[in-house]
Amino acid sequence: MISKKRQSKIILTIASTIIALIWLSPFYLMIVNAFKSKFEIFSNVLSLPSEWKFDNFVQAFIDLDFLNALTNSFIVTFLSVLIIIVFSSMAAYALARNKSKLSGVFFLVFVAAMLIPFQSVMIPLISIFGRIDLLNTSGLIFMYLGFGSSLSIFLYHGAVKGIPVSLDEAAMIDGASRWRIFWTIIFPMLKPITVTVMILNVIWIWNDYLLPSLVLSQKSATIPLRMFFFFGQYTKQWHLALAGLTLAIIPVIVLYFFAQKHIIEGVAEGAIK
Amino acid sequence: MKRKISIIFMFLIATGLLFTGCASDSGDKQSSGSGEAVDVDIFQFKVEFRDQFEELIELYMEENDHVNLTVQTVGGGSDYAASLKAQMSSGDEPVIFNIGGPTELDEYRDYLADLSDTEAASLALEGTLNGIEDGGEVLGLPFAQEGYGLIYNKEVFDQVGIDPKSLTTFDALEAAFAEIDANKEELGLDAVVAFPAMELWVMGNHLANHYIAPEFNSDIMTTFGAETINFEYGDQMKRMLDLQSQYSVQPVLSLDYSMQVEQLFSTGKVAVIQQGNWIYPTVEQMDQEFAENGIGMIAMPFEGEFEDHLPVGVPQYWAVNKNKSDQEIQAAKDFLDWMYTSDQGKEFVLDEFKFIPAYDGYDADRIADPLSQDVYQYSLDEKTIGWTFMATPIGWNEDVLASEFQKYLVDEATWEEVLQTSKESWESARQ
Amino acid sequence: MNNKNLSFWLFLLPALFALVVVVFFPFLYGFYYTFTDWNGLRATTFLGLDNYFAIFSDQRFIDSLVFTIKFAITSIVIVNVLGLGLAVLVTQKIKISNGLRTIFFMPNLIGGLILGFIWQFIFISGFDAVGKLFDLSFLQGWLSNAETGFWGLVILNVWQYAGYIMIIYISYLQGVPQELLEAAEIDGASAFQRFWRIKFPLVAPAFTVSLFLTLSNAFKLYDQNLALTNGGPYGSTEMLAMEIYNTAFSRYDMAYAQSKAVIFFILVAVVALTQVYVNKKREVEL
Repeated sequence: MISKKRQSKIILTIASTIIALIWLSPFYLMIVNAFKSKFEIFSNVLSLPSEWKFDNFVQAFIDLDFLNALTNSFIVTFLSVLIIIVFSSMAAYALARNKSKLSGVFFLVFVAAMLIPFQSVMIPLISIFGRIDLLNTSGLIFMYLGFGSSLSIFLYHGAVKGIPVSLDEAAMIDGASRWRIFWTIIFPMLKPITVTVMILNVIWIWNDYLLPSLVLSQKSATIPLRMFFFFGQYTKQWHLALAGLTLAIIPVIVLYFFAQKHIIEGVAEGAIK
Repeated sequence: MKRKISIIFMFLIATGLLFTGCASDSGDKQSSGSGEAVDVDIFQFKVEFRDQFEELIELYMEENDHVNLTVQTVGGGSDYAASLKAQMSSGDEPVIFNIGGPTELDEYRDYLADLSDTEAASLALEGTLNGIEDGGEVLGLPFAQEGYGLIYNKEVFDQVGIDPKSLTTFDALEAAFAEIDANKEELGLDAVVAFPAMELWVMGNHLANHYIAPEFNSDIMTTFGAETINFEYGDQMKRMLDLQSQYSVQPVLSLDYSMQVEQLFSTGKVAVIQQGNWIYPTVEQMDQEFAENGIGMIAMPFEGEFEDHLPVGVPQYWAVNKNKSDQEIQAAKDFLDWMYTSDQGKEFVLDEFKFIPAYDGYDADRIADPLSQDVYQYSLDEKTIGWTFMATPIGWNEDVLASEFQKYLVDEATWEEVLQTSKESWESARQ
Repeated sequence: MNNKNLSFWLFLLPALFALVVVVFFPFLYGFYYTFTDWNGLRATTFLGLDNYFAIFSDQRFIDSLVFTIKFAITSIVIVNVLGLGLAVLVTQKIKISNGLRTIFFMPNLIGGLILGFIWQFIFISGFDAVGKLFDLSFLQGWLSNAETGFWGLVILNVWQYAGYIMIIYISYLQGVPQELLEAAEIDGASAFQRFWRIKFPLVAPAFTVSLFLTLSNAFKLYDQNLALTNGGPYGSTEMLAMEIYNTAFSRYDMAYAQSKAVIFFILVAVVALTQVYVNKKREVEL
């Protein structure tokens, strides 16, 4: 006889498996239809393709100029996140170690900026940056520093406060500069929060659509911007679009499987604080 | 002191990192002197002919090795305008780009070089430069001519014994639809029509234009200057809308262009669709035999002066950027001239692009497909009305009129409300 | 470090400079131009509060505001109920719970635009096919009217964010002391009682966090809206963010759009400040 507890566990397992399958069904439909011809999608959406051909993927790869888009996405994300980490951790350190009123005001300013939604500044922002010829990749990276620094400083600030000031003082007595103290002693101790900051910003910037759509030209377009290629006004080609969407998702999924634990923890931490 | 220097140093590196990027972005602004290759960037919107166009460019560069052409094609019509705007403000302006008509002409006036000295401009067919001239200057060269109407499946009409060419009035068309509808099971049809009410441009630009253009004498500039719209032929517009939606596969608001043309018409599931000659390559891709021998085009019914007239117009124009160097501008003009007036270019325009030429000096018999032939025939017979939707207030056709049509189709608005709202919006935009 | 210290300023400056240039300056600059007829390049007339008055009689803006609020409330309820449900499910000690967590969280990592396109296919083609298979007519014609457009957006949003909210609930659920639950079990409390009487009160703070996160997400939603329905049919699913975008970049009415953006800011700020207030109040009570 199966114990009541085991029985309920089996039921629970079955139920949750069903939910998980439903959860995954959009991905299933995307992938199987990405292998079908235009014709086949019209007559058969739900079942497996009659033949596993990679033609759509090859075509989508070429049409999307995928390697170029991937490189653009990578450059923008990498450089943005890098400068966010460098400058936010520095600023947070400065703010946390300066106990003056002014410093408190600055901190408040950074936090208050989180209240301003992107749509409230996008129109003047684009107009101003357009006038100084900065609607390009460099301008975009700088904008990401502006938009990303608030939350990152907030997270770093909490972490820096957790590091005893006596460490700074001891190093200071040894004659180390602030610069050296920060990079050799403090920053390494901030590693866990740096991982969190990195994850949150990577997810945001990699997937961001609206800001780059206003800033970047066709040549420097990132992956999300390219997705419109198959959704033109006069052409909607689902067989290629679905292959393109699948290609676009692959880098994210690969990263997710390598750093799953960090990602989930990082996101939870970012949300709760 | 030392640490201060190092801090400043770091700060400089960081800002430097930001600005070196910008510098390299704008580095290619200067044009080359004589003897060196001229770079001409083309920024164009027509996805459908991208591959053929790139082939043509290869060919041109083989013959003219001092010119270096590069093309960027932006997917779809809807975001071309936005991309062009971004491109222009990014400081990385293309030499050749596309504009749609007087509204965009106004917007890009400062960028447009005069093309009246090109051979192509002098060969442009009567009326195809209407709306793109300003103060004696020709500011764009037409891509091609396009026409739209009702595209039908010949076999279906043969089977019910109706000659599509005879359907010039609403009554005749309605009777034919009813007849086909009554026999749709035997004919293997899902419905008579596929009416893609999800596509704002099919309703707001094309359907509506057929009954709006006559009000403005079919003239682009009259439309552009009109302070109001009275929907003189509004009843006919309503009748066409009702007729198509009534006999369509339902629900009409869930049908898009791809379902209409590929999924339903090309596979023989519907007998008639409202579309233009540009669908030919798509139908051909789905079923070559059907495309070559099984389809034709007639005009939508119109009762009055413009009976059996087909709307024929120029979808886009090529424009050359005035702010570039003289060499670049000249190279751009030479290329456009070559494309439309040289023998090799003409061959491409007809056989590869499958365009209906907007220029004199083409062998009309060689127009590739039956739909284009029908359109060309209407224009030879001078039975055409103009395309005026490039000259209406910005966004009016789609965001206002077509969106009101959608409300009407699901009973969220009455026909009077549709016309009233659209009229008010037109007037407030033209104040 | 103190205010006179050069290194304080040098450490602070890069981030502060970016914040001011990217957020505060454009915000104030834009705010100033809401009182004019600014077209993105120049302003010729001073209009006072005219732009703001116009908003209140702008049916399109009001419709999108109502739609956004309706969407936000519906999403919040479903996302939170489902998120909590999933959290409880994956914290049961079954073998596959780690795998489940991975799966439920996955949609959250993918961009809204991409998800919107995928779901457009699901609603239009997938639903249609299932509808035909089982003869369920309500699955046909999705996204073709206001109602299915609304539910389409809700379903997409729920699918994307339930896993995220689940993670938040999990971190609170794991904070519930195990001894307490065991003691209750020994005392004969049922699973339901244990959840309702012990876990639920301890998890309550998670509600505030999740509630406001989902609320502000729902308010700022744009990418999904664009890719799934693009506001259609007849503008019936146009949400606030998209309405502002269209006013600015398809109708080129910059000053007016910016006035709407200011109203939008006030709405979002009120929501966020309420959250801060509620949090503070709770901390005092504890």
